[in-house]
Amino acid sequence: MRWATCRLAQQKPSGVCAYTRLTFTTNLFIHSPERVLLFAGFSCVWLHNVIPFDPLPFPSQTGWKKRCCLLSMAFRDVNARRHIGLQELSSLALAGRTLLGPVKSWKFIVDESTNQSTLICSAVRLIESLDLTSAAGQLLNETIQAQNKEFKTGMSTLLFLVGAWSGAILECLQQDVPVSAIVSVMSEGLNSCCERVQCLQVSIHDVNKELCSSIVRPDAFKSETCQIGGDSLLNPQVFTYFQKDVSAPEEAILKNSCSHQEDDCGFNKGLVSPLSSFGSVASLVKPAGDRKASMISGSGVVASSCNKQKLTHSRYFSTPGESRFSNQQGTFRGYLSEQAADPCKCYGLGHLAVALSHGNQTSVKLLQSIVEYQQEKAECSGSSQFNVAEIVTCCLLTLPESYSCVSPGFVTLASLEQVAVIKHLEDKPLRILLMDGDLTEQYRHLGFNRPCNVRTILEHPSLQEGRAEDLWLSSMLGILTSFEVNLVLVKGNVCENLTERCIANSILVIGSVSRNVMCAFGEVTGAQPVTYVTQLNASCVGSGAQVELWKACDGRAMDLGELVPVRIKARGIPLLTAVLTTTVASKMQLIEDQFWTLVYRLHNALNDKKVFLGGGAVELLCLSHIQMLAEQSLQPANKNAVKGFHSPWLAASVTEYKSVVLQALANGWRQYLSVVMCNTAKAASELEASTSVDHHLKKAADCGSPSAYILKEFRRGGLLRGVSGPFADHGDGLKVYDNITAKTEAWRRALDLVLLVLQTDAEIITGPKSNQLVNSHASSEFVFL
Amino acid sequence: MSRLEAKKPPLFISDPLTKDLFIQSLSLLSRILKSCYGPAGRLKQLHNGVGGYVCTTSQSSAILGRLSVSHPVLSVLTASVQNHVSRFSDCGLFTAILCCSFIENFKSLSVASYTVIKISRHLLSLCMDYLKSEACGCRVSVDFSSVESLLCLVRSVLISKPACMLNKTEIDHLATLVVKAFIFTVPCHVETNAVLGKCVIVPVKSGRVVDSTVLPGLLIETPEIQWAKLLTVKRTCSNMIKIALFSVSMSGDSFSPEEGTIMVHHGISLEALELNQLLDVGKQLVSDEVGLVVCQKVIHPSLKQYLKENHVMAVDRAGLNLMEPLSRMTGSKPIASIQLLSPDCYGSLEDVRVESFASKHFVHLIPKDTIVCSLILCNRNETAWEELKRACETAEHVLQLTVKEPLALLGGGCTETHLASYIRHKSCTLSTSTFKDIDCSRTQYQLVADGFCRSLESVACSLSHDDGDILTDIVYGHCWFVPSGFPSVSNWSDLVSKCGCGINGNTENLSWRLLQGQFASHVIQDCPKKPSVKVADFLTVDCFAAKCSGLQVALETANLILDLSYVIEDQN
Repeated sequence: MRWATCRLAQQKPSGVCAYTRLTFTTNLFIHSPERVLLFAGFSCVWLHNVIPFDPLPFPSQTGWKKRCCLLSMAFRDVNARRHIGLQELSSLALAGRTLLGPVKSWKFIVDESTNQSTLICSAVRLIESLDLTSAAGQLLNETIQAQNKEFKTGMSTLLFLVGAWSGAILECLQQDVPVSAIVSVMSEGLNSCCERVQCLQVSIHDVNKELCSSIVRPDAFKSETCQIGGDSLLNPQVFTYFQKDVSAPEEAILKNSCSHQEDDCGFNKGLVSPLSSFGSVASLVKPAGDRKASMISGSGVVASSCNKQKLTHSRYFSTPGESRFSNQQGTFRGYLSEQAADPCKCYGLGHLAVALSHGNQTSVKLLQSIVEYQQEKAECSGSSQFNVAEIVTCCLLTLPESYSCVSPGFVTLASLEQVAVIKHLEDKPLRILLMDGDLTEQYRHLGFNRPCNVRTILEHPSLQEGRAEDLWLSSMLGILTSFEVNLVLVKGNVCENLTERCIANSILVIGSVSRNVMCAFGEVTGAQPVTYVTQLNASCVGSGAQVELWKACDGRAMDLGELVPVRIKARGIPLLTAVLTTTVASKMQLIEDQFWTLVYRLHNALNDKKVFLGGGAVELLCLSHIQMLAEQSLQPANKNAVKGFHSPWLAASVTEYKSVVLQALANGWRQYLSVVMCNTAKAASELEASTSVDHHLKKAADCGSPSAYILKEFRRGGLLRGVSGPFADHGDGLKVYDNITAKTEAWRRALDLVLLVLQTDAEIITGPKSNQLVNSHASSEFVFL
Repeated sequence: MSRLEAKKPPLFISDPLTKDLFIQSLSLLSRILKSCYGPAGRLKQLHNGVGGYVCTTSQSSAILGRLSVSHPVLSVLTASVQNHVSRFSDCGLFTAILCCSFIENFKSLSVASYTVIKISRHLLSLCMDYLKSEACGCRVSVDFSSVESLLCLVRSVLISKPACMLNKTEIDHLATLVVKAFIFTVPCHVETNAVLGKCVIVPVKSGRVVDSTVLPGLLIETPEIQWAKLLTVKRTCSNMIKIALFSVSMSGDSFSPEEGTIMVHHGISLEALELNQLLDVGKQLVSDEVGLVVCQKVIHPSLKQYLKENHVMAVDRAGLNLMEPLSRMTGSKPIASIQLLSPDCYGSLEDVRVESFASKHFVHLIPKDTIVCSLILCNRNETAWEELKRACETAEHVLQLTVKEPLALLGGGCTETHLASYIRHKSCTLSTSTFKDIDCSRTQYQLVADGFCRSLESVACSLSHDDGDILTDIVYGHCWFVPSGFPSVSNWSDLVSKCGCGINGNTENLSWRLLQGQFASHVIQDCPKKPSVKVADFLTVDCFAAKCSGLQVALETANLILDLSYVIEDQN
């Protein structure tokens, strides 16, 4: 039934559609121009399966009567094999396939009714933007939101596994595997996996030690460039293109790095005479060099400008002028020279941040500076190393992305009229007031019920008395001036008239300030938040705040039209603002999301105190473990050894189907690995990726201890790099780590959702909608009670 | 001018039970309920179809609560099941399924409903007498001196709710917590009239189930951790914290009565007057050495500020649910008016702390004697959390019921099949005088008894959802499940491992037979034996009181419905 809808949908796309932009990676260019073309031609993809969720055709069961209607989703014999809920989940999840892994393809979600579109790059935003009215869709949304709320990462993994596992379970149902067997074997299997992968956990301490020991070596860059050169030789035709084109941005990076390493010839050698260095590729494939390289390219500018460049290249195969890059080189240089000042400095958590970034390069630089600031502070005060509550973001549109930076204190936007006040207040210690509600006349604290039956009688009307608001304004202003308040931070909205009057009295009022900002200012200035200005007494007002116009890294004060960025700080304030800039409005949200994802990855890692080996290591071990379990369950000796299943009548039936169900579970991770490899262009097709996974699995099995094999491969520089030959290592093979709890919880949530939907055999629709259904043409599809 | 409309005459429907509409609706309802039953039961998604909250459940309380049944006869059924659930929490599906089966089975008999009712009452009394006798073979006593049997009870409840999405370790963890919470609510010093305390469930709708925990005392959620530094609460000379509990809103808006209009002269602010009054209350609280003020509703920020400056902790928005346990725990009387403040309203507390779970912050009130505790319940998503909450409440209630009557019935369908074989045995051995008393023939009695037994057995059968065979044994009359996919003729002893409740293993030849086989009812059998095995660790057991009541409610309701001959519907 469901497939019928899908096909229909493909003929007539409506509702929501997605536009897929391809992000090209370096190796793609070096190896197969054909594929580039293919991808380029494919760069606009309409994803139909995402689309409309008209009421689905449910199995018709007529003859029942009114009121509560029951749409039976899968009543036993007839429809148990084609579970509609699972089909819905699996088709919804299809939309998120390209969001998996470090290289994500962005999508435009277009609302056809308003013609508005949003650019999304994460599973949360995808699901948020879709109109999910079906029960399974609702549950999926709920699950993804819960994961987002708790970890801010792992949502695309969750979405993907939901899809993969629902598909795999549908196949099990086709083979008549009983539902209870699927449920118990799958959840036992996942538990067993979660225990098994514990051997791939590394403590933060060890990770830091390892990452720090592998920092900058003189030949790091040599090896990097040699490698690119050497590999590209395998396809000399492309290399010429590559050399012409990619050399521009690479040069930008490398020139700088070379200068700070005082090893100019390294770069030139690598690129100019690839032949000579080809021989050394094998020995130079070391994670150390790779890491450093991508850490430096961790600037958002490098990443994005390279991408642009390559995309142009893929279409036209021509070399654009280098001018595009020249204006941005300064930024790299500035950034790099900062590092150059202290080349051997150990960044501690900074390395971990890079290892957790998964190619989220725009944010790494920012996070690294945050970590640096916070660590310095932690060394002085002994507070915790990394505190998410002390980070805020400020989004500035119309500035190029190279202006993104971290500023101590609180950066926010003020109106143009306030500039004069700010200039007046600059360099002065300010008395600060914190308001934890709105600053308007009408505002009352939460829970206050406005009386509707009070009438005011005016006995002696006089014209001198102004309106109520004027009275309020002047009394507020009176209080503020009597306490000599210069700066007011308000959690909610601010009355415009009051802002104006305050400007006239040189008081700066800033609205929409988040709670942790208020807390931070409260702590260092001694101010105590109040709800009403009338509550004010001397002990509520803090002192020692400072305000200035925010200046970009080149020292210029910014003018963004209507709004001006302003920086508020106070002595000893731990608050850091990540100023995120972009000229493309639709990217703003995306950049902010990516930044927070990275921040929370580090936060989660520190909470866990451990990390997983990344780059597919964990999934590969799960896959090999499950396959081992499946093989074991087939051996007759183990057939009777069923332990841990609480229902006695389940035991026998479970043994019978164990192998099939475990294969279904394994399928989830197999697909995960394949799709990640495809998305990162490590494999040309899912088939190829799957072969490569099999290759690893076989090697792991032959090795005797799969975990030892995976560890070894990880140390060699990651797993998911194709089989061998043309897909061997490339520059971006830095060590990658993952969050533990976020990952295992995403697995668990995904499986829970799928099993919850699997065990559901009927939807019961209540309320007004059910009455509508009784009268609608679709009523034959429902059973009414 | 009003227009008069002629009243429509009421609609008389005679013999409502023979109508197609009723038969179909009953079979649909019974199908829905049967498919939910047991640990392998299928779930239902209840929602409004326009993107509202989706409730995924297999519990009768949730399904019947949201299902609006329009058929008058069926609403009699659902109402009496809901009434049973409100009193016992457990065995709602059992009651509903059994009731449907009774109606279906008795209706198909060619015996006058009057006679059926009398005979079935007699059968019920046989059952009840048997269940209450020492000789009862499907009953185990619950030993409150060991935790194990309590854990079995709780575990059985949790396992039977698959929508909670718990794995084995999580079930064990939660079962321990529920038992722990129950033990907290048992008063330490028992007087003549002991009353159990209360366990309050605190929602944390994200995070892992294993992060759930039990704390003595109560938790009140606070939006901020403003207390972090301010936790030097004022104590009285006996080192206790004096607490004032307000049920009246202190937000400063209580001058607004429900009706009428207040005229106020310009320049007079009611809000200010009200606030002054509140501040007066604050002054008195400070002078009375109160250390903690808890308000059910909102406290005015100015009053909060005043109290804070005087080192009195103020917690608002405690909510109605917490008021009763709060007042019980602290011994304070909820203050319902800010005009009258008598010193004997205050209660006392041992300690106040701040706790955080997931991203939520709580003020933790710790009493001297614990009879109130908080179960912080975590589950990964909302729909599973709601289900888990219902399951935990049921488990807690089951323990409370079991204290009164320390007995449990074997679960997993064994009680039903055992009772059925007992009734089969008993009905063959009744003396003719009994039939005279009920005014029926032996054949009639046999027919009704057979229907009665088949109804009981059909409840046991609805535990299996995967098309496997269901067996019963001649010796103990327990229920056995054969996995699907095996031919019915195979040797049963190779296929079964344990009976439904887990008390009997496949050790001796118990001569199994198919439960729903054609000749099932014609086997003359001995009285089923009581298993000699000691109560094992992982036994499935059901609440005695709830199941007994369920059996009674099901039969009474079925009899009531069978007795219906007219439905009179008011059409206006």
